[in-house]
Amino acid sequence: MAGGELVRLDRIVTSRFEGRRFRVPSRVLSAPTILYPGLDWKRIGLRDLLDRLGYQPEPARSNLELGRLEIGHRIWVSRAARVHLRGFDHPTRPERPRDILIRFDGSIVREIRELPESRVLGAVLLEPEPIGSYYGPDRAQRDLVRLGDVPQHLVDAVLAVEDQRFASHHGVDLRRIVGAAIANVRAGGIRQGGSTLTQQLAKNFFLTPERTYRRKLEEAAMALLIEARYDKDEILESYLNEIYLGQRGSTAIHGVGEASRFYFGKPVRHLELEESALLAAIIQSPNGTNPYRHAEKAQERRNLVVSLMLRQGRIDPASARSAREASLRLSPPTSEVRGARYFLDALRRQLPEVYDSETLAAEGLRIYSTLDWRMQRAAVSALVEGIESLEKQHPRLRREDPSARLQGCLIALRPQTGEILALVGGRSYGASQFDRCTQARRPAGSAFKPFVYAAALEPRPEPTITLATPMDDSPLRVDLPTGPWEPANFDHEFHGRVSVREAMESSLNVATARLGQDVGMGRVADVARRLGIESWLPTVPSLSLGVADVSPLEMARAYATIAGGGVRPEIRTFEDLVDSQGRTVARREIGFVRVADGGTMWLVTSLLEGVVERGTAYGVRRAGIRGPVAGKTGTSDDERDAWFVGFTPEMVVAVWIGFDEPQSLGLASSRVAVPIWARFVADVTGGSVRGSFAAPPEVIELDIEPNSGALALSGCPVSRREFFLEGTEPAETCPEGAVRSQFDLDREAGRLRDSFMQWLDDVLR
Amino acid sequence: MRLRLHMGCALLAAGFAASGCTTLNATDAGPGSLRLSEIAGRGDPQRRSSMQLVLQGLEADADLRSAQALSDYGNALRVDPSNPYAYLALARHHVSEGAPERALAHLDRSESLLRVQQELTPRVEAHLLGLRGAALAEAGRGREAEPLLARARELDPWTWGDGRLAALELR
Repeated sequence: MAGGELVRLDRIVTSRFEGRRFRVPSRVLSAPTILYPGLDWKRIGLRDLLDRLGYQPEPARSNLELGRLEIGHRIWVSRAARVHLRGFDHPTRPERPRDILIRFDGSIVREIRELPESRVLGAVLLEPEPIGSYYGPDRAQRDLVRLGDVPQHLVDAVLAVEDQRFASHHGVDLRRIVGAAIANVRAGGIRQGGSTLTQQLAKNFFLTPERTYRRKLEEAAMALLIEARYDKDEILESYLNEIYLGQRGSTAIHGVGEASRFYFGKPVRHLELEESALLAAIIQSPNGTNPYRHAEKAQERRNLVVSLMLRQGRIDPASARSAREASLRLSPPTSEVRGARYFLDALRRQLPEVYDSETLAAEGLRIYSTLDWRMQRAAVSALVEGIESLEKQHPRLRREDPSARLQGCLIALRPQTGEILALVGGRSYGASQFDRCTQARRPAGSAFKPFVYAAALEPRPEPTITLATPMDDSPLRVDLPTGPWEPANFDHEFHGRVSVREAMESSLNVATARLGQDVGMGRVADVARRLGIESWLPTVPSLSLGVADVSPLEMARAYATIAGGGVRPEIRTFEDLVDSQGRTVARREIGFVRVADGGTMWLVTSLLEGVVERGTAYGVRRAGIRGPVAGKTGTSDDERDAWFVGFTPEMVVAVWIGFDEPQSLGLASSRVAVPIWARFVADVTGGSVRGSFAAPPEVIELDIEPNSGALALSGCPVSRREFFLEGTEPAETCPEGAVRSQFDLDREAGRLRDSFMQWLDDVLR
Repeated sequence: MRLRLHMGCALLAAGFAASGCTTLNATDAGPGSLRLSEIAGRGDPQRRSSMQLVLQGLEADADLRSAQALSDYGNALRVDPSNPYAYLALARHHVSEGAPERALAHLDRSESLLRVQQELTPRVEAHLLGLRGAALAEAGRGREAEPLLARARELDPWTWGDGRLAALELR
């Protein structure tokens, strides 16, 4: 080889070693799972979660609290579990390893104690789970490790089987080459390679896989150059981070750090001897000895590695025996969370601009997201299975062309913090990367109506209506320059004089359109914008009926503002972005702004509760969901879009279903979007929703006469309870001209109920 | 003896901000102040666990482990998103970190939750007023701040005598 050629190779070697050696795709992690007393451990799938995180099961003990339990191990008995949590690294909120004892009461966590002190804990965090990465074109994932973090037995295992004279050769091992040549001649073909670790590194770093003498010569020359310039530790560390160790779907796994997480669900420093031996065993043929597919073969080769380690004096006979006897304990094979790619794209759009695709694919950032792993899985199932079931029930919705299939999206947010908990932008990311939750703009239909009612109920200084005001659902004609506009109801009937509740619960178009005209379109648009709609809103009469194109994300945020009592949250997909050195380089904190008064928002919430209790979203109750739920269905013109945006005190969920190229579904949203919404909420809450929509103090409850909306006082033949902002209660009374008696005042103040309860107590005593 | 000291402070509190009374130990909150540890055992399991995390955050804040405190408050809200005291603690954190706008937003959220959960007692109100006053003062809106701080001092001179709320005073 000419001197010039050597200089060229040397330049290649130094430029790679002195520059960025590895492109590491940035990784997105889920929100950590928090364990606390009162949590339903079955609902969060705690056992599966521990399996996914690679906690090794240990046999039960007579006294669970006694004795040592290794980090990353767990013992599960019928009413308790002991887990030695690994803790996790994070620059701002590291969690140290903790040995904890969890006691259960049925499916509920009763108590958590930290051992050995037996200190009661209010909550503990499990490490976040990886939900995906931003890959470059090579689709290779690695988790860089430092040599100091690699257990000695892993180094020994790799050296024993791949390069036992690594410490003494200078890049090329002549004895090994000769030995391999003899073995190959005897076997009548290539059975053994003669490459050292350094040669393998040179081949992987710089060369193509072609098998020519010239390439072999270059490999040897580069190995010698690497050894001349860099020390053994640096070479070994590079090798351990570069080596190919298998596939996760279409993603190549490189390096022992990533392989340790993939095969065992844990960081490399927690590997045990038999696990290290298995990783070393895989190096020669990662697919041929894949322990998931060829367990026997993998175990056989692992035991060969253990034997080599023993023969070379790297381990003692007792350790070798115990490693050989150990079964293959692999963590369940994990793919990236199904459907989370849409979330990853939404997150990328929220990152500061400096984090472009190239940076994300190469810089090895860690992004701590807001995604709830379990909710995301539930969202994917609810949406995908829900649409499939619609197609089964209504075959006319099926399309052969994959790009023309019925589509949908589901987004779940936390109204108090603006965190996106789950996001599924379509049926299949592989088939279409268009995110219908954040990128699509579709007519909201009646799901827009709450903004009309909010505008009408809001005191500025006087409200246009109260919940007692009768509404008019008779024919309406609005003359426009383009011609008259005459809205119709879904059932093509007019309902005459109706209550505000009836108009909302039955989603009456004409009564709502008339209300919109009374309030003014400018005011309706203003309220919608304040609550969180950013898309352009045409101030035309049909705006009241949801003619504006909006995104499901905007709708979810606007309903979150209603759920949050008029406080609009900033939407967050991540909390912290950490660079490869562990420094936080970007953070998105909780943010919000008050945009509407709490009393008005509560009145709207009360109307939307009625939609679920008695109206178009009754399907939520039919699905068995108990507890406080409010929401509104929406079906656009010609039934092209089906919406349901609903909320509980702690979660807002928006569902949209339709075709990308608008076509009629021929179905109302109550039969399309509501069942998918209910399926998701039932899955994540277990069917029982926590909390309540408590009324703020400025809301008062009074009896009214339902037909006239007058205040019902003593002597009024019919009455029902209704809510008002204090000071907006009706002036008219039933009977006409009556004045509030002490009885009425006591009833309003709840004193009658209190005195009745007192009387009952006395009687029963 | 301590009672007399507190009473003396109460009489003087409205007229001064920096006096002997303000040298009271930060943990030596008087009978008028709300300590979150007193109410941490209330509510359903989610609220109780969330409160434990808030208390943990206040300890971290007291030790000047600001990032850890923020993380604890965030976790408290994950466990119970309707916990008004987590927002109160966040507001206190942001006032002390010199981020008044954030503090004011958290106070709004805390106040509306306290209101609907019917927990807006005078003992909490002192903190809401005091923190709002402190945030406004930090934002350079002294004229708006002064009456709020004065009212907080009036309601709870032991804590608000110095116009500030230490993490351990809230804990």
